[in-house]
Amino acid sequence: MRKIFLGAVVCLIALTVFSAAKVNVSTWGFNLDLLDKNISKPFLEKYGIEIVREVGNNSVRLTKLISQKSNPVIDVVHFVDYYAMLAVKEGLLQPVDTSKLKNYSEIYDFAKDPIGGNYGIGYTVYSMGIVYRTDKIKGPINSWKDFWSKEVAGHISLPDITTTQGPALMMLINQIYDGNAYDPELKTAFEKVRQLKKDVVTFYKTSSELLNLFKMGEVWMAPVQRFSWGQFLDTGLPLAWVTPVEGMPGFLNVISIIKGAKNLEEAYKYIDFMISEEVQYAEAMDLVDSPVNVNVVVPQEIAEKLTYGVDHIKSLIFYKTDFIVENYDKWINKWNELIAQ
Amino acid sequence: MKKYLVLLPTVLFLLVFFLVPILSIIVESIYQPQKGWVAGKYLQFFTQRISRVAYTRSLLMSLLVTVVSLAIGYPSALAIVSLKSDSLKSFLMTLVVFPLMTNSVARTFSWLAVLGREGLINNLLISLKLTDSPRRLLYTPGAVFFGLLQLFLPLMIISLVSALENLPKEVPLAAKSLGANAFKLFTRVYIPLTVEGIVAGSTLVFTGCITAYVTPAVLGGSRVTMLSTLLYQKTSVTLDWGMATVIAVVMFATTLVVNYLSRKISSLGVSRQ
Repeated sequence: MRKIFLGAVVCLIALTVFSAAKVNVSTWGFNLDLLDKNISKPFLEKYGIEIVREVGNNSVRLTKLISQKSNPVIDVVHFVDYYAMLAVKEGLLQPVDTSKLKNYSEIYDFAKDPIGGNYGIGYTVYSMGIVYRTDKIKGPINSWKDFWSKEVAGHISLPDITTTQGPALMMLINQIYDGNAYDPELKTAFEKVRQLKKDVVTFYKTSSELLNLFKMGEVWMAPVQRFSWGQFLDTGLPLAWVTPVEGMPGFLNVISIIKGAKNLEEAYKYIDFMISEEVQYAEAMDLVDSPVNVNVVVPQEIAEKLTYGVDHIKSLIFYKTDFIVENYDKWINKWNELIAQ
Repeated sequence: MKKYLVLLPTVLFLLVFFLVPILSIIVESIYQPQKGWVAGKYLQFFTQRISRVAYTRSLLMSLLVTVVSLAIGYPSALAIVSLKSDSLKSFLMTLVVFPLMTNSVARTFSWLAVLGREGLINNLLISLKLTDSPRRLLYTPGAVFFGLLQLFLPLMIISLVSALENLPKEVPLAAKSLGANAFKLFTRVYIPLTVEGIVAGSTLVFTGCITAYVTPAVLGGSRVTMLSTLLYQKTSVTLDWGMATVIAVVMFATTLVVNYLSRKISSLGVSRQ
């Protein structure tokens, strides 16, 4: 009798362990310990739902989603806006029913439906500027054109075209040297990168890789996204952030729900949690993600390190995502030919 | 009959996990049910500049690593086998195998510390006043070469040591007593009698090099595209699975051809005797 009882208890425990509510999230692998602290732990405490993350850059994760399309493992995906559009094009996402999100009314209008059809909810906005070693480079550094200066040759890194910021940087270069960001061939930008190729240490594929290159002293100057600035400051290196005279491109990250997601209820709770004031505040205070929730107020010294405030966000350059989506394949091919030469 | 029965588990395993997948990849690179004949991708592979560059680079790199590891490995193997002390011998073999026991990602990243601008080699060069400013060693073909050599040299040494240990001790003595000098002893006795080990070691090293991914990806970066990094890009970034299949088949065929050729060359060497 006792044995049967024990067996039943073991079975029960096993059942609860294996059926514990969870949500599978595909996202970037940057700032993971902070995501754990600010999101995973409070989410588990509040709802009893475990967040299981699968990490990688945009392109690798999109590919995985495509290969799992018929039987998706992932419930929720974080993408930069134009990758979310690529995912819509592939038929991977389902529209978000915003009436299920309690905090939806608290976010800025530009974050409410950035890619149309409610396929993605914006949850953070960030800029890209220049970061450089003030002890190695005399400068002054104040323009994107400074990447072509003799002083920094051999000590710079640029993002690969398959990264979040890759296409925007190329459009920006085209705009600076040709006056037109919307050239489907990006002719001038590719020519400028061709000239620069031999002076580039390597074309980085993730923010973690770039951070490492700075730590090792391989790279002294690179385009850097604002969400990683906190980690760059933590290195203790003498670094400066430059807002170039030509302006900074802005990016919007969105969260979307996978078509056929198996944990739909949990997915909605997760998205709602991500745009809630408490999470947006915690993430902002750790310099991870700049808030889109209008109620979040941070101290001045934190705000300066973020992409914070309506005026600041308005000053950023947001390139049309459908233009990127339309020409992306062509650019990747041109890029590969260029880099392999 | 019993003989075949004990082979069964291995044969079954290889059939399910090796032969069937390989065959399905080969078939899919030529014909796909949804798309029809797709063999044109092979033509594309050999006409596209990027894949041609990656292929020749991979081939040359693998050949170079194989030849150099043979040149370094043979004397080392000879020295290890000729040792009288068994404990010293096993100590040296442990040292040889040691790199194989460390994780390949960790090992490759430690190369970053050695080859970096503020790494061991550059610091040494500067302190010896051989150069004024640090040289760029990372993200070059040279970095990939040394990474691969370190990775696969142990395989060459192990193959050669086991071949040399099978060589009866009397054979070199007999050759010497019949008047063979050191050169003749090496070319006419050692090499023909250990040719199996040479072929096995070379095949392992070559195959390892041409399929290695972590080393070229980390030490070569995006500027040193090799066949394996191109394959990754096709499967994970550009989603061109058709081309990825073709690259996989080309890789497989190349290793088969190299293996066949090295066997041919070695049998020529033996039959000349």
